[in-house]
Amino acid sequence: MGEPAGPRASCPGTFARAWAKAVSGTSYLPMTQAQLEELLQRLTVRLAAALRAEPFDPRIGHQVGAELVAAHIASAEGLGRTVEVVQLRLLRDLGLVGDDISDRLARLLATITTGYARALRDRTLDEQESIRRAAMVARAQAERALRDSESRFRHQATHDPLTDLPNRALFTERLATALTVPGRGTARVGVCFLDLDRFKVVNDSLGHQLGDALLVQVAQRLSRALGEHLVARLGGDEFVVLVEHTDGTDDVVKVAEAALAAVAEPALVEGHELTVTASAGIVERPVAGTTPGELMRAADSTLHWAKAAGGARWALFDPARHRTELARYALSAAIPAALDRGEFFLDYQPLTSLRDGTVVGVEALVRWRHPELGVLGPDSFIGLAEETGLIVRLGGWVLAEACREAESWAAGGGPAPFVSVNLAVRQVHRPDLVQEVRGLLAQTGLPPQRLQLEITESTMMSTGGEDPVRSLRMLNDLGVRIAIDDFGTGYSNLVYLRDLPVTELKVAGEFVTRLRSPQADPASRNDEQILASLVSLAHALDLTVTAEGVETADQADLLRAIGCDTGQGWHFGKPAPAARILEQIR
Amino acid sequence: MQRPNWAPDDIDIERPSVARMYDYYLGGSHNFAADRVAARAMVEAVPDAPLMAQANRAFLRRVVQHLVDSGIRQFLDIGSGIPTVGNVHEIAQRADPRARVVYVDVDPVAVAHSQEILAGNPTATVVQEDLRRPEAILAHPEVTRLIDFSQPVAVMIVAVLHFIPHSDHPEDILRTLRAALAPGSFLVLSQASDDTRGGAERAEAERVYRRTDSPLCIRSRSELTAFFDGFTIVDPGVVWVPQWRPETPESAENAEQAVFLGGVGRLDG
Repeated sequence: MGEPAGPRASCPGTFARAWAKAVSGTSYLPMTQAQLEELLQRLTVRLAAALRAEPFDPRIGHQVGAELVAAHIASAEGLGRTVEVVQLRLLRDLGLVGDDISDRLARLLATITTGYARALRDRTLDEQESIRRAAMVARAQAERALRDSESRFRHQATHDPLTDLPNRALFTERLATALTVPGRGTARVGVCFLDLDRFKVVNDSLGHQLGDALLVQVAQRLSRALGEHLVARLGGDEFVVLVEHTDGTDDVVKVAEAALAAVAEPALVEGHELTVTASAGIVERPVAGTTPGELMRAADSTLHWAKAAGGARWALFDPARHRTELARYALSAAIPAALDRGEFFLDYQPLTSLRDGTVVGVEALVRWRHPELGVLGPDSFIGLAEETGLIVRLGGWVLAEACREAESWAAGGGPAPFVSVNLAVRQVHRPDLVQEVRGLLAQTGLPPQRLQLEITESTMMSTGGEDPVRSLRMLNDLGVRIAIDDFGTGYSNLVYLRDLPVTELKVAGEFVTRLRSPQADPASRNDEQILASLVSLAHALDLTVTAEGVETADQADLLRAIGCDTGQGWHFGKPAPAARILEQIR
Repeated sequence: MQRPNWAPDDIDIERPSVARMYDYYLGGSHNFAADRVAARAMVEAVPDAPLMAQANRAFLRRVVQHLVDSGIRQFLDIGSGIPTVGNVHEIAQRADPRARVVYVDVDPVAVAHSQEILAGNPTATVVQEDLRRPEAILAHPEVTRLIDFSQPVAVMIVAVLHFIPHSDHPEDILRTLRAALAPGSFLVLSQASDDTRGGAERAEAERVYRRTDSPLCIRSRSELTAFFDGFTIVDPGVVWVPQWRPETPESAENAEQAVFLGGVGRLDG
């Protein structure tokens, strides 16, 4: 107080302004020039005090140096210029004098630079540490993000997005692991395939959204009911359960029953109460000697057995049945190549007039000369061909071959017999059936009247392609004969026959089989009467009647007495190659 | 830059980062050896580089002060880098503690460092995003948590645009950001220009930055002015950064040496 030359802290003096000018631009200063001058004025006051203090206090210089660094006047140039301006101007600008004043100034500069260097070193170390820590944090965050994304990606890759159940990939992986357990000598494993019954109906009638909601509920119930076992969704309404460490079939049957019960509970889905059932295919076997693929395929086909048996049940894998199915599959897969190699051929069975014993026609029957299995009758492969759709190609071949062979039979003396060929439902539905038949007749030269097409009642009534009645009428108009095969086994509606393009009824063999002499079996009298009415009705509609499966002379006599037109069966001749049949005729 | 957002960047401190080089120019020690090697090469090629950085930083400080004085309380600082001295939030929150600041940077280390500095500051935050994905910035939950886009916002893209090449369509980026802003908002831009510098220095600078994760794209005054499309550029226009409302007349001397052009635009209602 009262010192005339003492600088005031508030208003920057000459020295503070010169100092500010010297250091400005040496580094980035986060303040205005006025703020800088204010700061340096404050420091000037302290420097002046240090120069006067008795005894000399080094702490003031240290603090000023540190404050410069704290204010970011922290470059080498900033220090150099500070030393220069203090040395050159401080004493003069503040009017400080004294004996030891230059010594004191030197000591003051030493303490300022010491404090400055210390603070700068600390700040540098702090900043280095801080940026290194930031790099570590950033790296840890990046690694965590990578791990998260990897586990998210892994989850997405191994789970079904709709139900969040494990998907096929994860199931297969876990199944493969289960099959490689140590001590696999005695270990057993079970797989249970599960499929909702008539799920398509839910989707089609209530919409896919509701169908999906139902699947989510089913998935939740299955995981709840089978907690310890891995439940996966294979796709659609197909689920699969892995049952590890089994002791026998019963363990998996229990799981399957729990699963079916869980599904069968009524479900409330978006306001609809739905009751769905499921079917299950179970396979359980020793771990040794099996593969994931084998187990999955076995469980899948077993599931189809449960479905075929009506659903809402489980089925247990049966190796013998599986082998049969595999053989059937192999057989059906071989049909196209067999057609290419000409392994199929036709036998013919006579249709004999009951009036005069002449052969009026023959039915073509296909055979397969299988290179390993020998000659196979139609029962072994026609059903397969119908299931797979190969029947169209096979049936086409039969039709063409029959037309080709039958044309040559005309060379004999009397009227040549017609050839009767079976048509499968898929063939009848083809839009180009009429064209195909017309083409074959033109190609072979076979008169249309010598071709008869046999179709079943159900084929005639079926829908799903070209209208059969329309095609058959066009063929009938060409002169081709149309026979209803196996008449009497379906609805046998005689009334509709009036409006259909039909020339002949073939009465199913089972009617004929029941015909015995009335002495032996009084009930046979009824059958005879039914057959008689049928024949007379057919005649009233201008249809001829052929009785199939005629095995005895008695049956032939009865049929003749009833008025039946023709007979077919072992009594008249077994199926045989065309040449042999022709010999019989001539 | 269309990497999926679940694939994080690798943290490679052996590669120079433009954010840490900038810290070095400003006298900071928030940098690693690779940054210092690159920054020293830059200083050798362009000896004024540290002065340019300082001038640009001073421009930022004056602009933020001006915007605070104009009533702006929300700041979106994109390409904020290493938040060393003279941060936007320091300036803005000194004027008004309620001022809200969101920093955005693509550099994960800069972001981690900012997180540390901003820990405990409820009205300032940082997000890791890329200026080239403005939709992602605008939709980021941290951005929408602090910034009310129905009120004026200052969008600051300071010393960043020269890292955005023409092929990234900076005009589209700015149009997207502008579309999100309320009338009364501001756009602050500064970027390296070569209107006065020699071709040799420019070539050398571009060579240095090719080693970093962000190559340099220098633009003229008219190109930078065009980026203010839709805004009214406030006085004194797009100028060398020391000339933008200098505190003293002498601080604007030799302004063209600063190499950085800067300007502020206002979105009228």
